[in-house]
Amino acid sequence: MSKLTKIVMPLAVVGMAATAFMATPAKAEWQPKGPISVIIGFAAGGGTDTQARLIAAELKKRKGWNVIPSNVTGKGGVVMARKLKGLPNDGLTIGMAVTEVFGYNMLASKKAGYKTDDFTYIATTTSSQMGIVANTSKGWKTFADVIAAAKKGKVFKFAGMSAKHADINFLIEQKYGVKFNTVVLRGGRKVMNAIIAGDVDLGYGAGIQSKAVRSGKMVNLASGLSQRLKISPNAPTLVEMGIPYDIGAKFIFVAPAGIPGEARKALADAIGDIINDPSTKASQYVSKGYGGPDVITGKKLDAFIQNEIKIAKVLMKLMK
Amino acid sequence: MGLLDHIWLGIVTVFSADPVFSIAGLPISITIVMVILGFLFGIFVGATPGIGGPFAMAISLPILISVFGFDANALLPVLGFLVGIMKGSTIGGAVPAILFNTPGTPDSLMTTLDGYPLTKRGQPGKALRVAHFSSVSGDTFSDIVLITCAPFLAILVEKFLDFPEKAALIILSLAFVSAVVGSNVWKGMLAALLGLFIAYIGTGEDGHPRLSMGSDSLAAGFPLISAVLGVLILGEVFKSLEDMWREMKDTSSITHVEVKGDNKLHLSDIRRILPFIGISASIGTMIGALPGIGSTLAATLGYATGRKYHKGSPAFGEGAIEGIAATEAANSAVAGANLIPVLSLGIPGNVSAVFILLATETISGFTPGPQVFRLVPDQINQEMVYAFGLFTTMIFANGLNWTLGGIFMRWMGVMIRIPKQRLLPIVLLLTLTAIYVQQTTMFAVYVTLGFGFLGYLMRKLNMSVLAFIIAYILANNLEEAMRQAFAVTGADPWFLFAGPISITFMVLAIAVVVFFARNQKDLS
Repeated sequence: MSKLTKIVMPLAVVGMAATAFMATPAKAEWQPKGPISVIIGFAAGGGTDTQARLIAAELKKRKGWNVIPSNVTGKGGVVMARKLKGLPNDGLTIGMAVTEVFGYNMLASKKAGYKTDDFTYIATTTSSQMGIVANTSKGWKTFADVIAAAKKGKVFKFAGMSAKHADINFLIEQKYGVKFNTVVLRGGRKVMNAIIAGDVDLGYGAGIQSKAVRSGKMVNLASGLSQRLKISPNAPTLVEMGIPYDIGAKFIFVAPAGIPGEARKALADAIGDIINDPSTKASQYVSKGYGGPDVITGKKLDAFIQNEIKIAKVLMKLMK
Repeated sequence: MGLLDHIWLGIVTVFSADPVFSIAGLPISITIVMVILGFLFGIFVGATPGIGGPFAMAISLPILISVFGFDANALLPVLGFLVGIMKGSTIGGAVPAILFNTPGTPDSLMTTLDGYPLTKRGQPGKALRVAHFSSVSGDTFSDIVLITCAPFLAILVEKFLDFPEKAALIILSLAFVSAVVGSNVWKGMLAALLGLFIAYIGTGEDGHPRLSMGSDSLAAGFPLISAVLGVLILGEVFKSLEDMWREMKDTSSITHVEVKGDNKLHLSDIRRILPFIGISASIGTMIGALPGIGSTLAATLGYATGRKYHKGSPAFGEGAIEGIAATEAANSAVAGANLIPVLSLGIPGNVSAVFILLATETISGFTPGPQVFRLVPDQINQEMVYAFGLFTTMIFANGLNWTLGGIFMRWMGVMIRIPKQRLLPIVLLLTLTAIYVQQTTMFAVYVTLGFGFLGYLMRKLNMSVLAFIIAYILANNLEEAMRQAFAVTGADPWFLFAGPISITFMVLAIAVVVFFARNQKDLS
């Protein structure tokens, strides 16, 4: 190798990396002026993370947009929202979380550090199939069995993904006179791992448990939605158990408030097209474990968020 | 799906996913191409005094990620390249040690003791062949231990470690790293605490960004890659620049050696060095499996043990091939075993492992931890497939080492002629470019320079940079594990002392610190 090539070779590698950013096709509609970073509010490997990354890969394929995902975890998405709020509103930074981050979790945090109108809401992708889950080997058939065992004085370890789950557990404790040791983990994947490893006895799953439930390794003990879960029709809803609340949520992309209107529309359209196209991996993923494609954008989405806050306030009142 | 299915799928994924071109109808996958490129790059940097495998991995990682992206398909090509560097640089390091009495990496320091005398006697070829054979044997041995042990250890971890035990284990690892690495236990602890402190800026579960002093840039914490590359690479560059400035008058020239006499590696030679390779490979593997000790100590211990057992002439230090074998087998055996704690616990033990872990954290689809080796009936555990894919790339890189490594190694003697004053600015430029390519903000570049200065100061004060880095990386895991353990035990303040396993870990953590602190007094 000559002296020159020794110097040129590593530089060529950097050059190749740099050109990767320039490959953006010219079109009339809004185009990002650089890589778009997606900040995911939950840990890698969970439902939010998987959806965000599948959509990121498809955006690159369809639009040539360079989408760079990263995870900012903690407090059930609240830490991510707080970070996102202060970032530039040029459409190049968006976040992904669940709707309760902008409803219940925001109101329940003493100092969330952000408000509803700190964000522009872009698009939802799907709705959760929220259930209370345990290993089948525990021998429980429904949540009533857990309550019965807890009433005998057993204190179970119970994992949730957000403050809301901890509060629901508090309501259950109040209603039935039982005690749980509740721990909030960073995302559905961590809850699943903790249940499988026996580190906790039961936990909340937003749909990531579906595969394990179908194979018979895990069981949905209760549904967190207002209706029973599709794959576990025998599990009662929390409402039936006397906890009058639907804790289902939707997965949502958001941006800092005030991003350009055309950027909001372009992002929402691109994400919606991907989720609604049954041939994409993202669409197949949300159909297999979650409520299927459920894209809400624009004014309808703003109204949906306002409604979330209204419902959250009702539950907050209940807590007091 | 059984274990064998996963192993087979891992191998198939490495060799057949995303073929880039084909040779004689045989498709060559991108992962294989990346392993080969990484391997060549690894030998090249290993043989260049002043930079080594970790340098190359650090600079490559951000560039690889911006080329390959973040989705799971990127995992094996990126890891393959890093594994290639890791393997290539272990054999490259011996080259300047043997030929020019200048170790390419700190862990080939002991190789100079017997390698250079052989060169002076006109047998550099023999020395290089012994180094190659021992290095690759040690490495292969270590990989076999990794592949057979990691799955079982992961299962044990999952069975016995609960939230409090995991928190205690991280504390033990940090105590171990601080106590063992570097010159002084207390300086090591200080470095680790500094790492924790800086990692806690802007992160956590507080209602407002912690320790950010109202700054928006600090609210999100420092970019991880900037902190790691700054301390690790720029710190070293700054220190080397200063050393060069001091040594300007020292202009030793490279002398040419005449090659004469026996330069082949005979079967009788292999029989002579095999016992030394066996002992050193075992020492290296055991040390590799513990976090933080690293290959330099393994090399020293391997050499010292070899010297104790060696009889006959030439003696160690006078050109004994057994001396080269003992050193090279030990330092090469560290690399594979170092991935045992990474894959089963997510705890990195040395700098190379840090970059493997960073790659898996940035790219989706593979999170090191016990769940990687969990068998699910009738289903494919994709993470286990990736784990065996990673093992396959390691074995493939070993194959390259056995076949081509020796040839390339002997070509690399020219690398010594690269002047450091040209090399260091290139390293500096590449590091800053790599940071900017990944982060695309100037803030990240300034942070990198800031951490570079911190790394420089730490080196001047003889504080362990590795303890800082590992603490920095484990800080948030530690906080998370502590908070969760506290919650899950029903707010028991003594959760770290509630079970026999966590008590054992905590006692060991204190014992390690006390033990090494006392030994230190004896030395001084």
